[in-house]
Amino acid sequence: MDTAADETGSAAGVPLPGIRRGSGHWLSSYAAMLRFDIASQRTWLPMFAMMQILFGTGTAIIYGFYIGPGMSRSIALFIVSGAPALATITAALIGVTTMVTERKLAGSWDFIWSLPAPRSAVVASTLTVYTVMTVPGVVACLALATWRYGLHLSLSPMVAPAFVLAALITTSLAFGMALAIPNPLVTNVIVNALIFLILLFSPVVYPITQLPGWLADVHRVLPIYHLAQILRASVTSGLVHDVAASYAVLAGWTVVAWAATAWTIGRRK
Amino acid sequence: MALIATPAARPAGPGSPAADSRLRYWLHGYRWMFAWDLADLRLTLPVLASILTLQGAGFVLGIGLLYRHIPQAAAAFVVTGIPVLNLITAGLIFEPQIVAGQRTAGSYEFLQSMPVPRSMAAIAWYTVALITALPAVVLTLVSGVLRYHLHLDITPAIVPAILAVSFTGVLMGYAIAHAITTPMIAQLVSTALIFVLFGFSPVMFPARQLPLWLAQVNQWLPFGSMATIMHSALGISEASGTGRAYLVAAAWAIGSGLVAAWAVGRRR
Repeated sequence: MDTAADETGSAAGVPLPGIRRGSGHWLSSYAAMLRFDIASQRTWLPMFAMMQILFGTGTAIIYGFYIGPGMSRSIALFIVSGAPALATITAALIGVTTMVTERKLAGSWDFIWSLPAPRSAVVASTLTVYTVMTVPGVVACLALATWRYGLHLSLSPMVAPAFVLAALITTSLAFGMALAIPNPLVTNVIVNALIFLILLFSPVVYPITQLPGWLADVHRVLPIYHLAQILRASVTSGLVHDVAASYAVLAGWTVVAWAATAWTIGRRK
Repeated sequence: MALIATPAARPAGPGSPAADSRLRYWLHGYRWMFAWDLADLRLTLPVLASILTLQGAGFVLGIGLLYRHIPQAAAAFVVTGIPVLNLITAGLIFEPQIVAGQRTAGSYEFLQSMPVPRSMAAIAWYTVALITALPAVVLTLVSGVLRYHLHLDITPAIVPAILAVSFTGVLMGYAIAHAITTPMIAQLVSTALIFVLFGFSPVMFPARQLPLWLAQVNQWLPFGSMATIMHSALGISEASGTGRAYLVAAAWAIGSGLVAAWAVGRRR
């Protein structure tokens, strides 16, 4: 292709632009796409943060209503330390998939892929914006839930990397899923089903021992339980053991999400 | 148009030919709109009925996981509260989505121009929503009874309870769908209402588990009253003030009906 372009360009006497490759080009594209993402999502991002805080905190409060007055401190601690995971998962599943499907319906992805920027830089920019936007909402949810139940958490130095990693992992998974599924309606159905399953059938706000054995085994493979574990470990002490295994499982799922994204954006239509 | 307007324009005393003609016109309109809804939603309704069943049974089974050992009273409250969700989801969530889709597709004006009374269109949709929800109500109750080994004392009041709860939910959804002209906001409102029903209304847990101020607010909101009606009909002893609950639900149904009538009756 380059040779052909050289020949054509030389023949036409048109000066050729410099070759667009290398880390410098990637970084400048990434910076340009960051500006593009923030500018194009400027009205949606504040709503995204608000929705995340309302849903995450609201859900944590609602669990308390269901448990009722007999709630022990340990149950409350599980609910509060599960709130960041709820907020992170909600932000990714609802916020990121909505953004991806809206761009699909509007045909924006075709425009975005046609921009003179490496696709990896485009994806990295979107993941960065949504990861960064998720973290304040997660912190707010945790603060509100802690205040609601009157608890004192013991934050570990791992809290910052855990929150950022959790946001990156969930954003990557939601982005990869929404991009890989061609029909937005199917994505919507899957998102709703996942939210239902996460809220009721996932050990986020209660211990995994309360699940039937087969469901607990399923959750030891899926990312939701491990996400809740790394976040819980960063804000409590003594509740979570073997957090390294959870990080390893989540790393595996992130690779799967990035592979799905790379396959989707790399193929020709 | 003249043919359609004629029966309504005549003076219609009770038992007069004109009154019979008007009744026939209304019944005819109801039959047509009922058939229209069934045909229009022939692919969607079985899916909706399945979703309602899965949602209800899933909630009944999933909520038990929250507790290490769920108390029988809590299980009974959840199982007898879920039918409210089964009954009003079609009206409150699905109807605004249908109408939002019609507005986006441009078919809304066409449907409104049909030569049938709009009140009959609403009643036909109520019938369809009720029929769609009934299997979910039965299956949810059965799954709850089997899972938690409950004994429900089902009274004959279950019939008016189901009719009243579904009617109020349908009219509320009808008002939202037709009065809010921006599809996205209509969907947002109905979704927020379901969130309120799940979490902030004494439907699947007793009102005493809410903060006092929220429990008092709920005395004037529809969901708690619908739940009281349903709990009472299914023999839950904690349910009290059923008469008041019927009045509150009726007030919401009338209010929603008036809003819906204004929305579908106004000229644009």
